Amino acid sequence: MNWNRRQLLWAAGGLGAAALLTACGGGDETSSTAPRKAGEKPRPGGTLRVGALGRASAITRDPHGTQANESDYLIISLVHDTLTVPGTRPNTAPRLATSWKASDDLRTWRFTLAEGATFHDGSPVTAEDVVWSLKRLRGTPSGASRLPGIKPENITSEGDDTVVLVSDYANAELPQLTRLTTFVLKKDTKDSDLGKAPGTGPFELDWFRAGNARLVRNKKWYGGDVLLDAIEVKIFASPQAMANALLAGQIDVASNVGAVAARTAEKRQDVQIVRRPNDMAMPIVMRVADGPFADPRVREALRLAVDREAMVKQVLSGYGTVANDILGTGDPAYAKDIPQRERDLPKARSLLKEAGFDLSKTYRLLTTEDIAGLAEAATLFASQVREAGVKVEVVRQESAAFWEKTWLKGDLYTTYWGTNDSVVFFASKTMVSDSGQNEAGWRNKRFDAAYEKAMATKDPAERATLLHEIQRIEHEESGHLLWGMADGIDLAAAAVRDLPALPGYGRVQLETTWLAR
Amino acid sequence: MAGSLIGAVRRGPAGVDGSRPAPAVVRLPLRVAAVLARRALLLAVLLACVFAAVELLPGDAATATSERGESAADLAQRRQLLGLDRPVAERFWDWTTGLPTGDLGTSARGEAVADLLARPFPNTLLLGGLALLVTLVASVTLGCWAAARPGGKVDRAVSASATGVLALPEFVVAVALVLVFALWTDWLPAVTLTDADGSPASWKMLVLPVLALAVPQIGWNVRIVRAALADESTAPHIETAVLDGLPRHRILTHHLLPGALPTISAGIATSTGMLLGGAVVVETIFNYPGIGSVLAGAVTDRDSPLIAGVVAVTGAVLSGVLLLADLVRAWASGGRT
Repeated sequence: MNWNRRQLLWAAGGLGAAALLTACGGGDETSSTAPRKAGEKPRPGGTLRVGALGRASAITRDPHGTQANESDYLIISLVHDTLTVPGTRPNTAPRLATSWKASDDLRTWRFTLAEGATFHDGSPVTAEDVVWSLKRLRGTPSGASRLPGIKPENITSEGDDTVVLVSDYANAELPQLTRLTTFVLKKDTKDSDLGKAPGTGPFELDWFRAGNARLVRNKKWYGGDVLLDAIEVKIFASPQAMANALLAGQIDVASNVGAVAARTAEKRQDVQIVRRPNDMAMPIVMRVADGPFADPRVREALRLAVDREAMVKQVLSGYGTVANDILGTGDPAYAKDIPQRERDLPKARSLLKEAGFDLSKTYRLLTTEDIAGLAEAATLFASQVREAGVKVEVVRQESAAFWEKTWLKGDLYTTYWGTNDSVVFFASKTMVSDSGQNEAGWRNKRFDAAYEKAMATKDPAERATLLHEIQRIEHEESGHLLWGMADGIDLAAAAVRDLPALPGYGRVQLETTWLAR
Repeated sequence: MAGSLIGAVRRGPAGVDGSRPAPAVVRLPLRVAAVLARRALLLAVLLACVFAAVELLPGDAATATSERGESAADLAQRRQLLGLDRPVAERFWDWTTGLPTGDLGTSARGEAVADLLARPFPNTLLLGGLALLVTLVASVTLGCWAAARPGGKVDRAVSASATGVLALPEFVVAVALVLVFALWTDWLPAVTLTDADGSPASWKMLVLPVLALAVPQIGWNVRIVRAALADESTAPHIETAVLDGLPRHRILTHHLLPGALPTISAGIATSTGMLLGGAVVVETIFNYPGIGSVLAGAVTDRDSPLIAGVVAVTGAVLSGVLLLADLVRAWASGGRT
């Protein structure tokens, strides 16, 4: 699953409140990012109260629906398991599927289910249940984009513990597709029973009410011992309110609360700031297909005109890292050896001149306030490229208008993506010539060829070389200017240990979290 | 929600001209029915406007609830699923005809609107109701206190601070209250959390949101009460009462307040709308589980049935309160003129 575009809408409001809040609290400037102190042993017990963002209007209980609410997704993923989950190295880790194996042509993939996995009502998980669940997912309006290249009839079972997926084309990264939304329900679960359907996950649902829920430990979880007795999920419409709740001790974790809240909490010694790197990309898209930025020299000039350190420092309050115009920075295969692009105004100016770029014109940079920092990034970018002689006017569009009229079409606009641990994800979704969301209208035969070859290459070393090639071309020629990566930020009470440090939806893996109190 | 039960019955200080208009009380049931019908019609027009307005906004519920990467065909499927492929008038008609059976339709994410409002709406009513009560008690008390000695120290202090707070937006009051009473002193909870039945887990959680809503309204209503009492005190029968040597408090409770009641009730009724509007902001700041969050999200999602559902239930409550205020005014003026 990708970020739903409305997911962080609320992040825009109430900055004034946060500014006021920074006035409170005293003490030293210490903030712990260490999830566990030396010599501590995980201990079982306790109830963790987690705040997560969500709106009452968007509440859904359907594991295969579009979950705009982080709170809903958190509850669903604690109760239900997916086949695989996000990991660090590799970025796909086993869950309900313990292993997977591809055919030589990389089209047929066999997933073996965890031994002894049961639903919360005690019945065993069978391949039939998984096939039914995947087909149900595939049948939703988002199904085709969640399981791309996999037709419903190509989801089958082999015996009780093997699920077979056949892709329409070679796909070396197919298991990645099963990470976020392949929640498994019992076969033939009725739509009306979704809210109380037994899952296979580390926690069982105790109650759910208006977006809030209490979950209790699944003592028989096949994945190992779950430490917490219970998790209470509290829905919050605004990150400010969530931060206040944490600072006042009403919750133990404020999940994905953002940089503004972190800045507020910096002075509080009893609050941990958990930084999850590579969480959010906010690239500036320059249209390649046509328009004023079609000339690669112009795009290169803008990339050289941006001051990346200043962007990270000012837009992200320092909670982020500088990036190098390659999307998928959290990928183990990310090409760290490609030299970092630095600010070079003289070179930018000469490139613009060489390209005959019209410096007398003012260019419009379209943006939204969907997520915190996006419009601010656009504004700062505009003032930075001004120093290279390019006049940019930032235009803030209402979210729906932006997504309908500007996205995929505009000459210069901001976008954002929350799944950032895969180079291939972005290549396939937004850069290959015929991709459905070719944000910059980029068509590059060498890139397409390298991508297709990488997808059809089974040998890991050979594929790594190809992935590197993909990133090199992207770095030089794509329409994306990626100046930095925002950290995902959670706030946690002093006693919370071992919160996940994964970007994006890796943050919901709370089965190993524990309380030192 | 225009429309008054008493029309032009009350003109200036009551009873000055000594004429006796037709007895309003006799025709009251008829008038109530007429006002109700008018308000229902108005509400229907308003709801139609909601559907039309959502239609005019860019994007629709299908794009709002989709994920990036859904093809045009997927979007079309979603649109059909939500019934967005039908004309807006038809959707509005379908939605409206469900109303008498209590069916408020289905949200853009497939949940029953009645279910989505089942917990939040009573919560908002509780919040708004308490805030209204606090407003009423505080503004009448303060207004009377100030009016007791016109031009005195108390009067000047109350009037000045009333003017000050009525200009404060709810969110400023709310943020200040959180800072002082939750984060600095730790006396009260910063946000509202709910328990298993969906209502606030502790009464303490209501204190700050109620205050945040009530403070600006108290400012407004103190001035109205104060002015109404001042206006009333020039009436001949008050002067008579004073000359008769009746005790001050008796004049206040038996002569001044009854006369000022129509004005006060109108002021309070106006505040009901302001309170419900302010609730949207205050609920967000305190994470109060009311309809504010539902409404804000529904607008973002272009979720016409859900927006209309919120408008319908709030509109009904507002109509009820305004009707009550009109009745109070009719009763108060009808009995005296």
